[in-house]
Amino acid sequence: MKRFFKKIILFLVILFVASLLLDVIYTAIISHSAERNKIENVIHTSNKKYDVVFMGTSRANNHFVTKVFEDKGFKAFNYGISGSHLFETSLLLKLMVANKYEIKNLILEADLSICNEKRDEGTTARFMPYIHRNEIIKNHYKNEADFYQIYYLPFYRYIKFDNKIGFREVYDVAAKKPTNTLFNKGYYPLISHKKGNMKNDISSLKVIRNKYYEEIKQICKQNNIKLTVVMTPMCQNTKGLDYFDKVHQLYPEIHNFENVITDDKYFASCGHLNDEGAKIYTNYIMNFFYN
Amino acid sequence: MFFNSLHFAAFLPIVFLLYWFVFNKNKSWQNSLLIIASYYFYACWDWRFLFLLVFSTLLDYFTGIMIEKNETISKRRFWFWLSIIVNLGFLGVFKYYNFFATSFTELINGFGFQVNPLLIKVILPVGISFYTFHGLSYVIDIYYKRIKAEYNFIDYSLFVSYFPLLVAGPIERATHLLPQVKVKREFSFEKAKEGVHQIIWGLVKKVVIADSCAMYANEVFNHQEDMNSLSLVLGAIYFAFQIYGDFSGYSDIALGTSKLFGIDLLKNFNFPYFSRDIAEFWRRWHISLSSWFRDYLYIPLGGSKGGKWMQVRNTFIIFLVSGFWHGANWTFIAWGLINAIYFLPLLLLNKNRSNLEDINFRWNREGLQTILHIVLTFSITTFAWIFFRAKSISDALLYIKNMFTNLNFDVQYLGNERYSFELLPLVGVFIVFEWFHKYKTEPISGKYENVKLLFCIMAILALGVFSDYKEFIYFQF
Repeated sequence: MKRFFKKIILFLVILFVASLLLDVIYTAIISHSAERNKIENVIHTSNKKYDVVFMGTSRANNHFVTKVFEDKGFKAFNYGISGSHLFETSLLLKLMVANKYEIKNLILEADLSICNEKRDEGTTARFMPYIHRNEIIKNHYKNEADFYQIYYLPFYRYIKFDNKIGFREVYDVAAKKPTNTLFNKGYYPLISHKKGNMKNDISSLKVIRNKYYEEIKQICKQNNIKLTVVMTPMCQNTKGLDYFDKVHQLYPEIHNFENVITDDKYFASCGHLNDEGAKIYTNYIMNFFYN
Repeated sequence: MFFNSLHFAAFLPIVFLLYWFVFNKNKSWQNSLLIIASYYFYACWDWRFLFLLVFSTLLDYFTGIMIEKNETISKRRFWFWLSIIVNLGFLGVFKYYNFFATSFTELINGFGFQVNPLLIKVILPVGISFYTFHGLSYVIDIYYKRIKAEYNFIDYSLFVSYFPLLVAGPIERATHLLPQVKVKREFSFEKAKEGVHQIIWGLVKKVVIADSCAMYANEVFNHQEDMNSLSLVLGAIYFAFQIYGDFSGYSDIALGTSKLFGIDLLKNFNFPYFSRDIAEFWRRWHISLSSWFRDYLYIPLGGSKGGKWMQVRNTFIIFLVSGFWHGANWTFIAWGLINAIYFLPLLLLNKNRSNLEDINFRWNREGLQTILHIVLTFSITTFAWIFFRAKSISDALLYIKNMFTNLNFDVQYLGNERYSFELLPLVGVFIVFEWFHKYKTEPISGKYENVKLLFCIMAILALGVFSDYKEFIYFQF
């Protein structure tokens, strides 16, 4: 039995060393990259100056056409992240402030995401390589149930989020494969196609007082960022559209622009405008707030 | 609780330590602990089905004794059929009722009548096909006086519910497992070490090979209408390696786990994709099930004794039943039928037992012929897997039609943001690794074992798929 325990100890040592080694290699490679996604871009840059910054989910990423603002002389960037929740938006804003970004106006898309205080796994993954070297990220995730595993177990974070920061990502970073995330100043245009899902049911969503939205408001107030919060359009065949009125009732400062575009020909899917719809919507926003 | 979960990683060492340091007084203590652990293991899936496991154990325990105690044929027959009917009855209700009800109403509706099927809402108890067959073989062996009934209820309970084999086999035989649980197990370093290596190699097969292949195979099969010929061919190959890595990986973990408790289980896989004909494939794939059907169905039906026609009939029966055993869907029956058709020429030409010896490969004409036969056997096996994987027969036929008529062999970028060919190098490395270790139980032991251990651990950590978790395929059977 003694020999067996020695074997098991050897196995555990190999496991620990392999985990540690891989953790160091993965962190070194991934954190070397600054252009593959918006999160690492914010972490690696500082002292940027913007007249307008857009933030939110894919409904910000695909709806706010940065060029429309740039053409009117505003220096703008779309930091909307597909799949993200207000949890990550708040963290990204904290990082921008810490990196001395000077932002005059923040246009935040907050509608469907108001009902959710949980983290998004895909977006969270992008922060994980920096959790040891960035106190803000560490503190933001401190109250998560799996924080101790993520923070103290070597390589655990890369296993847990392997589809985003696993071997493929490491390989792509090392091979310097480009992505299109930062093209079009962060705006990602969608095109309509036949298979686009043109129905949605949001009747089960419950509006809550979202602590990360409150956090964003607080950060903006402290840093003299003018915060404008908007809701964005949904397709005609959406069940439970009164959700947007409920959001407006709870948060009167959030502008309900859900019905600015109603024709389905401007949608790529039920929750996402196509490029043409996004341009109309962005022009509407700009005229509404900046004319 | 899955073999590749953190829950199991905590469960196994606890049971191991209790087994060798607290419950090591005698075999009854050892067996009692393993039964408690097994029931806990099973309850982690769904505690409500524990009653089914306990009932199945009690049924076969008592009927086994009653068959042995009764001298008259009629009474023996009564207890024998009671066990068979109740066991198959449970399997029928839980696994096949809805299939028969739906198929029957479709048939009736086909004649112009309008009938709605009376379906039952019940989930399939995990492992029911395995422990039912387990118990059946025990009762059949007693009835035919091949073995004596087991009077020690604890020993018998462990034979049925032993957790390494409880949910997906291997399907054990009383003649093999019961003698082992009837004696106190002594710790063997070599056996335990081999067990640990086998568990690690099983994990490589599951999380590195099977789950990676699953990502590509699922993408191709779920969007087959958008795929070209190359992607469809690759999708079928990926599925072939997914199911092999998944099930043989599971079996390796089961066998390795059992070795930690000093118990050997039946070997379930013997490098089936290196088979030179389909008969050899079935001697190497899911061996415990194939041999079960051979011993308890094919031979009682007359086996190969009654002439060619009888052989052909019996072969078709066991392949169809084997297909149906896998699941209540016509796709599995079609898969069984296709394999029976593959088998037919070998049977008619008396070549079904021509590749019994191990492969002795040399780089000469014979060696190249061997490779050709292996590739051919793999190809037809992979073709049959399309039916196994497809949701319906029409989906499978459409898949095959597109594969042969699309004729576009451009590399496609799949919906999961991966190129269809990307996984081929990993599959290639796996094949080469298996080829050079094809005479070993597990490839880690031997020269440079610590280096190989390091590589396996690195492979699991770096190449394993964890976030997109896939259940073991055979758990659904």
